[in-house]
Amino acid sequence: MAVINYEPLNSSTDVTTTKTLLYEAIPLTGTIVSGTYSDENIKNFTHGMFQAVYDYPYLSSSANHIFDLSVGYSSNSTISGSVSAVQESKKINMYNQFAQVLLGYTGSDNIVREFESDLSLDGVGKIQDSFFINFSRLITKDQIKKGSFSLTVGTGSWANPFGFTETLTDASASATGKTTNTIGGDYGVLYNAGNTARGVVFYQAGIAILATGSWDSVTDFNSGSSPVYSYTTAQSLASASISGSCDALRHRIKNISFNNTTEINSTIYFCRVPHNKYNYSANPTYLSSSQIRVKSIASDTPISYITTIGLYSPNNELLAMAKLSEPLKKDPTNEITLRVRLDY
Amino acid sequence: MAFLDNSGDIILDAVLTDVGRKKMADGTFKITKFALGDDEIDYSLYNKNHASGSAYADLDILQTPVMEAFTQTNAGINYGLLSLGSTDVLYLPVLKVNEKTTISSNVKSPSTPTSGIFYLADTSTNTVSKLTTALGASDKFLTSNSTSGPAILLESGIDTSNIAGDTANKLTYLVSNNLVDKSFYVYYDNRFLTTVLGPTAGSKFNNTSLGLSGAPTLDYALAIAPPVTTDLQISNFSSARIAAASDNVVENGNYSTPDTSVSAVAGPRGAFTVLNFIVKPNLNTAYTLYGSVSQDVFSDSVLYSYIDTTIFVQGTKTGTQVQIPLRIIKYISG
Repeated sequence: MAVINYEPLNSSTDVTTTKTLLYEAIPLTGTIVSGTYSDENIKNFTHGMFQAVYDYPYLSSSANHIFDLSVGYSSNSTISGSVSAVQESKKINMYNQFAQVLLGYTGSDNIVREFESDLSLDGVGKIQDSFFINFSRLITKDQIKKGSFSLTVGTGSWANPFGFTETLTDASASATGKTTNTIGGDYGVLYNAGNTARGVVFYQAGIAILATGSWDSVTDFNSGSSPVYSYTTAQSLASASISGSCDALRHRIKNISFNNTTEINSTIYFCRVPHNKYNYSANPTYLSSSQIRVKSIASDTPISYITTIGLYSPNNELLAMAKLSEPLKKDPTNEITLRVRLDY
Repeated sequence: MAFLDNSGDIILDAVLTDVGRKKMADGTFKITKFALGDDEIDYSLYNKNHASGSAYADLDILQTPVMEAFTQTNAGINYGLLSLGSTDVLYLPVLKVNEKTTISSNVKSPSTPTSGIFYLADTSTNTVSKLTTALGASDKFLTSNSTSGPAILLESGIDTSNIAGDTANKLTYLVSNNLVDKSFYVYYDNRFLTTVLGPTAGSKFNNTSLGLSGAPTLDYALAIAPPVTTDLQISNFSSARIAAASDNVVENGNYSTPDTSVSAVAGPRGAFTVLNFIVKPNLNTAYTLYGSVSQDVFSDSVLYSYIDTTIFVQGTKTGTQVQIPLRIIKYISG
């Protein structure tokens, strides 16, 4: 039914806006990435350019996509042009795709910029051979919180990958510094415990780019028995398929954790209820034989109980509604300001 | 909807309604005013004579659990809180349907086969004559698009025998507190009804025109009421505004016909209105989808199709409201 009594909201004094950042901790254990579901949660595609990781066998409707994995290298990499190269053009395409989206083009020849293991983008410390981890928006939300990213990888042998581990973090990055902004958003550098750069993480894009340095001393980064093979990271990137190298990386992911960020933009409406307003009700139970139930004589104070606040357009359309968790007593002796926050 | 957790601090659970989201999508979202509601509250729980004292009078009310906010506007604020200028108002008007038999041009709901439902004959051939026979009178049903009646008579006023329904009390309790409705909103299902007919200017309802007999005078003509755009909270419902006129039925001890035999309101009367409808043509499919087809409604071997719907009427000043069950009926055979 139509509401009879409205109270105007003054846009300059009764309405304000705020922005709140909400963080959630996202822990991804390595057993989900490799092991728990016998790879039924890993989806490979016929094009073979990346593989998708789910938190449950992906054929189930309960499965959520958590991240994608891919590998690639620059055409300027020492790997490029290997005689035993497999899917080379696709790997170069993958690298270029990430680079052009996240870094863009530069120079008189307008060439794509290459990832670097520092914040300066000066051509020094290039990451030309990389693993790419693209996190789903479902878990990164608006962005990864700066300074919260942590990735633990096994650096042991293939048979015992977590005999040695290395934890890569962006601990030095924060909302106020130690990041660089590019066309793909801000990125921070991932360092190991020895403060050696191992990759970068793009916060808004939700993409981690790992260099191969963590496994420089590992001779069997990627290994198999049928047929027998044992690859270093460089050999794996060159001679294994993209999905094969992704499998090898998953074999060595022990833990990933970060905080995601949700930006909540809010409009707050201060609904000011004056002392002389809304003290009566059109609720049918308010009357008994037309007499107001909360009064015995005319001079008794009228009382009403607020449970609902309706926010209306100029045309009396109910655009938003708020409910109090318990009834709020209103009478002519009090004034109430109800603070209604709408989040977007 | 679940209840809100009321074990701790008072919290506000706010949501955009479906209309709000639509407005966001088309870029016309703008909030300019608010209103308050108390739909969950049962004021009969207010115990003025609580054994532990007046501080406990509203204990049960304050413990009322409140549901989460609805996103559908039809469950928004049904009974808003009211702002009245005076704090010493003790009585508020109610809205009632007048089915008094002392009046000839108001419609009465038949007691059989079901009581409390008003019948509305559509304009198909023989429906009116068959209903007149079945119900025994022509004022037991409405006729679609009839501008002369009979019509549903509605009165607003203070329905208590504690206050005499005389002119002085009308001024004291209603007029001076600005509690006389000048018009009413009528909400109707636009799938079955084309529009609403309301009273034209000059309509009158009193018991003073015929001297000391106190017999009622109800004069009116009906015309199509203008549609209004208010917060339409029920899907498929449209609204119209019908005029109200002063209800001049008064108590007078010298009248041979008591005022309570003329009016549905026991105390001072504020306003009245009359109401009829125009049924949509070609409702055959609607009878099948939403009603019943070829039924022997009155156990007289005459078959009718019908649709039951509800009309909502609300005072534009006082917010007092009433629901009117309506059966749209069409003669089929027999």
